[in-house]
Amino acid sequence: MRLPSLIPFLSLFLLSSVWAAPKDKGAVRQQLIDLSAKGNGVIKLDSKTFDLLTLPNRDWSASIQFTALDRRRRCAPCKEFDPSWNAIAKAWTSTPKEHRDNHFFGTLDFDEGQAVFQKLGLASAPIVYVYPAAEGPRQAPSGKTGPSKYDFSTGFEAEPLAIHLSNHTPIPIPYKAPIDWARWATFISGLLGFALTIRFISPVLQSRWTWAAITVLTSLTMIGGFMFTRIRGMPYTGPDGSWIAAGYQNQYGQEVQVIALIYGTLSFAFLMLIMIVPYQSSPSRQRMQVYLWSAVVMLIYSVLITLFRIKNRGYPFKLLL
Amino acid sequence: MSTAYPLPTNLSKTTVANTASLLRIVALGLISAAAIASRLFAVINFESIIHEFDPWFNYRATRVLAAKGFYEFWNWFDPTAWYPLGRVVGGTVYPGLMATSGVIYNFLHAFNLPVDIRNICVLLAPGFSALTAWATYMFTKEMKDESAGLLAAAFIGIVPGYISRSVAGSYDNEAIAIFLLMFTFYCWIKALKTGSALFGTLAAVFYFYMVAAWGGYAFITNMIPVHALALMLMGRFSSRLYVAYCSWYAIGTLSSMQVPFVGFQPVRTSEHMGALGVFGLLQIVAFAQLARSHLSSKQFQNLLTVAVIVMGVVGTFGFIALTYMGWIAPWTGRFYSLWDTGYAKKYIPIIASVSEHQPTAWPSFFMDLQFLIFLFPAGVVLCFRELRDEHVFVIIYAVVASYFAGVMVRLMLTLTPVVCVASAVAFSSLMDTYLDPTQPEAEGESRPAEVDASAASNGSTASTASKKEKEKAKKPAAGGALSDIVAATSSSKKSKGVWGLDTRLVVIAHSLLMLGFFVFHCTWVTSSAYSSPSVVLASTNADGSQHIIDDFREAYYWLRQNTAEDAVVMSWWDYGYQIAGMADRPTLVDNNTWNNTHIATVGKAMSSSEEVAYPILRKHDVDYVLVIFGGLLGYSGDDINKFLWMVRIAQGVWPDEIQEPNYFTPQGEYRVDDRASSAMRNSLMYKMSYYRFAELFGGGQAVDRVRQQTMPKTGPTLDYLDEAFTSENWIVRIYQVRKEDDLGRDLKSANAFAQGKKRKRTKPVSKRRAITV
Repeated sequence: MRLPSLIPFLSLFLLSSVWAAPKDKGAVRQQLIDLSAKGNGVIKLDSKTFDLLTLPNRDWSASIQFTALDRRRRCAPCKEFDPSWNAIAKAWTSTPKEHRDNHFFGTLDFDEGQAVFQKLGLASAPIVYVYPAAEGPRQAPSGKTGPSKYDFSTGFEAEPLAIHLSNHTPIPIPYKAPIDWARWATFISGLLGFALTIRFISPVLQSRWTWAAITVLTSLTMIGGFMFTRIRGMPYTGPDGSWIAAGYQNQYGQEVQVIALIYGTLSFAFLMLIMIVPYQSSPSRQRMQVYLWSAVVMLIYSVLITLFRIKNRGYPFKLLL
Repeated sequence: MSTAYPLPTNLSKTTVANTASLLRIVALGLISAAAIASRLFAVINFESIIHEFDPWFNYRATRVLAAKGFYEFWNWFDPTAWYPLGRVVGGTVYPGLMATSGVIYNFLHAFNLPVDIRNICVLLAPGFSALTAWATYMFTKEMKDESAGLLAAAFIGIVPGYISRSVAGSYDNEAIAIFLLMFTFYCWIKALKTGSALFGTLAAVFYFYMVAAWGGYAFITNMIPVHALALMLMGRFSSRLYVAYCSWYAIGTLSSMQVPFVGFQPVRTSEHMGALGVFGLLQIVAFAQLARSHLSSKQFQNLLTVAVIVMGVVGTFGFIALTYMGWIAPWTGRFYSLWDTGYAKKYIPIIASVSEHQPTAWPSFFMDLQFLIFLFPAGVVLCFRELRDEHVFVIIYAVVASYFAGVMVRLMLTLTPVVCVASAVAFSSLMDTYLDPTQPEAEGESRPAEVDASAASNGSTASTASKKEKEKAKKPAAGGALSDIVAATSSSKKSKGVWGLDTRLVVIAHSLLMLGFFVFHCTWVTSSAYSSPSVVLASTNADGSQHIIDDFREAYYWLRQNTAEDAVVMSWWDYGYQIAGMADRPTLVDNNTWNNTHIATVGKAMSSSEEVAYPILRKHDVDYVLVIFGGLLGYSGDDINKFLWMVRIAQGVWPDEIQEPNYFTPQGEYRVDDRASSAMRNSLMYKMSYYRFAELFGGGQAVDRVRQQTMPKTGPTLDYLDEAFTSENWIVRIYQVRKEDDLGRDLKSANAFAQGKKRKRTKPVSKRRAITV
């Protein structure tokens, strides 16, 4: 009478003993392999499976992504990074079995493993931890068993991450960046379009003034500090809405436009004085233009000096303003 | 013809011409004097001393050359640098600078003028700036005329963008390189204009000098081919181009390979492949031209075209194949980082860590070039108006250099000459127009059509063609201001001009105002920003007088006088050359950053804990460790501020052991106070910087003045190092590395034992005395 009810209980007991017994590495490994195969190379972790994956006496290594993909968490970088992670894990599934089963990829979402996040003291996401093998032949020579953190200074791209992770996997991850078909299509269609319209635009291309415009615009952008904003990834405006950044070695995106415009206007005024004004036919009109452009030069120049004084507080000179 | 102001009529043409040439010579002399004088602020404000970092190595090498002669210098192996590796100096140096000083030194001594080699080194850069002014004059003269040349010479003489690298004491390769750059370009333009192999060869000779002097020679190596290629694309291939390019390339390349440091690079690296490719292309085009002139058959000509294209394609594929097979090296990192701007930060942090490799924000452009920066686009447009072969050169130079200057602060130096040339062209065109005394007749029946055409300055070929003719018509008249007087006496009719005196005065007044302002600006920038030797610092006292902070030399001389001659000093690489130059002690790493692993080793030692660092120090025989600490004085260029780069570079080699995020607080801040991360607080660099720092404040709040953070009351302790020396203002701190404990204990427990013992009883006085003999 009591026997039937005992069987599930017994089986539960047996099962939980498997869970609880970390000694049986083979079983855990097999379980991880199954989970990994199910998740296309990535093990969807929760608190329990996380403990399995990071077993203190593991002889496999693991890299784990801590993320928060739920919409409510509003983690835009997590969403940006997730595809790179999955692509690398997918690439790993193509390796030979004897290597593949020695390294696992896992993803732990915040909503499924809050306890783990708390335990590890993680306050942000995404984070990538690499857990080296704690035992066995692949144990780190330094004897380190704790996780190491991946540094996102190279961005969320898959390529540098794959290179970094390859240091910890048995063999390098065979990750290859997918071919960017869209870019190739645009490039080829652009080339084709150019070849087709060359007959119509060749007079424009052969005109020196087209090239003059290109040259001058390029130079103006560059001397406006465009490369600075690009390399440093400066925002268009400041967080408080100001468009001019404080400090001599600093600038926002909008400053490039303003400065290039100022330089352009000044250059243009000089060009008017040199190239256009002398060809005027009426003396009065010419006189008016001379005064006009001279005033423009002085005024804009004063504005420029004022801007420069904002950037360089110690600058002792000023013009009209 | 009416004139706006009266002209003397009793002057003969020869008088005017002679006076003009005399005035030009006087003006050039004055420009040279101004160029030299404005670079002497550093000597007057401080003293005749070598500046900064790299110049100290150049100075040291020059001393070897002056003392021992050229062959000794050539074969010099320096065992004290990069200890224990050493450095083959003769083969890893651009010897042009040292050779120049050596020649000057020997020349003066041959005349029994016993000038100290240090003074030659200090004053070399100002001297060469005068030559640069002259070379720029010659170059600009080819672009427009003498008056533009004089303006350009004056601009480059005092413009801060060039002064920043050539003040007295700044004994660096750039000091002579800009002169060589401009003179090579001048010779190239002259060769191109005249088709003279002589000038082509001259260009090659100066190119060789440039190769021997500065790594930036790659700029010439690529500028000239790009110019030649652009001319060919514009359909301007000519035998002049062929002669000029081939003589320059053949002789220049062969001679540049004589510099040991360059060696076979000109035929094996990608930087030089452009020049080789254009050389090949020129041969093909020249051959096609020759064949075409001798053939009439249409079919044969078609065949020729096909052959030329096939040759080009085969050449390109051959180049690609050679690159893949590894015969041609890919771009070097420093060069590659110019194109892919994220490259250096990812793969070569050592390049990204140098402050002069940072991108340029717009205030730097304005600071360095002031009003020239907005005259420069106008000058480029004026070059487009004439568009002779040499103007194409200026245009290409302008685009390329403005991009490079935007990517790297130090390349502002290559932008400066072209900015000076282009803005001098613009400015002198303005002066030509408004100083010209002739007034047009106010008839203007046939003119409006022309006016509209030029006023619109549109792209239609018709108007440019008519403009070209117009240009041709007025060319004899469009000389300098003085030649205008000559032109005015001859009754040439002009289609343009300015009426009235007031209009002229307005324009000239604001132009002069700008020039005057420019002079004030340059003087201020030079004296306040660019004349600091950085070996000696200056601050102002409360009463406005200058206070000299001489900690660096104090510490280096302490090392020189108090340590064994073979004592190895470890410091971050920035100070390697200075230690070698001033303290004359072996160093682990220096500013010749050729061995990344060695630098990373030092970075690792600095950023690890004492226990980890100690074996590294011992293995490298380090006796002293030197750190720069600005926290007391507020000197922001100290090692704690550079520390993250040490961590990054070490991380590049030992990613498992050193990790950058560990040096930040969990909130991601870089802190040194009691909230600092444990990796930070245990790092050797932190400990050495703040050791006993809190004691200095006598129980009060210890404040780091650079980072504006309050330091904890109890500072770090050191077990493996002893404080050996701290300079007056604490900028330089030197620690001695302890030897292993005599009893074989590790030093930490030995220390604890010693301290524990001390608490119990005082050290017994030794009963034994040394036996005096």
